[in-house]
Amino acid sequence: MSDYINRRKFVSRTALSAAGLLVSDQIMGIPRSGTLEDTMSSEIPVSSYNLMKDVMKYRKLDSHVHAHLFDGGPEGNVSFADRLGIDKMYISLPAYSGEGTPKEFRSYNDLMLKCMKQYPDRLVGQFTLNAIFQKESLEEIKRCVDLGMVGLKVYTQLKINDPLFYPIIEKMIDLKMIIHMHAYAQLGLGGYRMKYNIGIRPQTSIPEDFVEIAQKYPEAMFQYAHIGGGGDWEYACKMFAKYPNIYVDTSGSNNAENMIDFAVKCLGEDRLFFGSDNCYYQSVGKILASNLTETQKKKVFFDNYNSILKKSGRNVD
Amino acid sequence: MLIDINAYVGHWPFMQLKHNTCDALHERMNKFGVDISVISNLNGIFYKNTQSANEELFEEIRSKAKFRDRFIPFAVINPIYAGWRDDLDVCINKYGFKGVRIYPKYHDFEILDPSCIELVKRVRDFGLPVVFNFRMVDSRQRSWIDISNLKNNVIREWNLKSILPIIKAVPDAKYMILNFANAATLNAEEMALIKKTDLLFDTSGRTITNMSDFLKNYGPDKFAFGTHSPILDYLTGLLRIESLSPGEADETIKEMLRSGNAKKLLAI
Repeated sequence: MSDYINRRKFVSRTALSAAGLLVSDQIMGIPRSGTLEDTMSSEIPVSSYNLMKDVMKYRKLDSHVHAHLFDGGPEGNVSFADRLGIDKMYISLPAYSGEGTPKEFRSYNDLMLKCMKQYPDRLVGQFTLNAIFQKESLEEIKRCVDLGMVGLKVYTQLKINDPLFYPIIEKMIDLKMIIHMHAYAQLGLGGYRMKYNIGIRPQTSIPEDFVEIAQKYPEAMFQYAHIGGGGDWEYACKMFAKYPNIYVDTSGSNNAENMIDFAVKCLGEDRLFFGSDNCYYQSVGKILASNLTETQKKKVFFDNYNSILKKSGRNVD
Repeated sequence: MLIDINAYVGHWPFMQLKHNTCDALHERMNKFGVDISVISNLNGIFYKNTQSANEELFEEIRSKAKFRDRFIPFAVINPIYAGWRDDLDVCINKYGFKGVRIYPKYHDFEILDPSCIELVKRVRDFGLPVVFNFRMVDSRQRSWIDISNLKNNVIREWNLKSILPIIKAVPDAKYMILNFANAATLNAEEMALIKKTDLLFDTSGRTITNMSDFLKNYGPDKFAFGTHSPILDYLTGLLRIESLSPGEADETIKEMLRSGNAKKLLAI
């Protein structure tokens, strides 16, 4: 037995010393126990995992990110894109506050167009509108698409299944572009368990709203925003399991350990898009830390969103 | 070398967790190059008698020799529950635990409750750190039977100012303030208090949107690698460190963040 203890001490202390660490029994505190088999397994070396090499291994398209909203102009976007190996960011500035008048949403789109001109190889715009203003919204789609923007990003002025959205959705079907809508699954919001009413944004789209509109327009493509945005991602993913024209982006400040694996389990590997919503560290970390295969990670980081862009001929080579 | 100062085993009652045993965490550490994890038992948040959770953790770590040099256990103590002083003594002197996690919101007491102050002072006198969290999970995705911490309800998520009163009350204790969330803005006096206190934040929290800015504001000696695993993913906390450019943090500073600051606070 003494040989075993000595060998164990030799093995573990050699390994720890090599790592720059030698922690005494007294410091670690827990009394000795365990079996010979357990002891032998302590010889498994800690890997020399290189996180940044793993980060840079994958091409990335950020399907949900903003400029001039949370953290300043496009310089900040591109700085983080460089830092984390993000090829292109699909930026938007929805009517986050105010009424969302035509004057407002045109100015937001103009701002994104300006960002595109500043970084033509890195930033592509998603246009916004307010479907309450039907005529102006349809005109704005044409203007923005002609100027190189791809896809629609809308906020909480109307729920996604409001009839005022129907002409917009039909136009997006014609264009073969995706409809990206801010969304949530939270107690007391948007019609869900309203006894917990938190008193904000009653028109927020909830998963049930996406299911209703996806059933009405099976040829349309919908992007449920930020499963990591703080809402109940298990609820949303389960709700969407049977609706192949609903996609989710993985953005948001929440990076629950099992989020990505659970989403793939519910939705399959083709319906998740990498997105940050400007929460850059979490957006990359949660995918790399998942149990997805190399191929699945590649799909989520790049291929899935690129396949959507390809439908309108706006994909990345 | 990497030391994770914010990891758990155990269960979260409202959501299934993966990698939440010592075995699973040990595998995770080996895969991603983490040498040592500071761990506590999540069950201690929910058991009325937290000592049962401490006993579980003690037995689990003791069950396999391979765990001994890889885990630094912290106790969970509720200072308004019977027998807590004895529990603290057992955890530190018999079980060899190296710090104490305190959960005022979940255990239903104020941060300046006299018992909480007494607990912090007792841990200080052992020369060990106490740990407070900004939050355990995002309140927006809470279960309907989790503590009420939404807008307009009584118990809300903490920000940094919520934790300052206990630091002010016991300024010579050692603190770990984990899972940085919500407002980080402090006035000059508050920032001075943080800077002179023996205190570490971990890198797991969502408020750290740009690590470089936080290093500038608080100083590189105030942060250490942490995962908040298995509630949060295993790599984001590390990415905040490893993606710093050489101009933002040289190798000396990165080593402080990876393990140097943790070793200093933990006195190992």
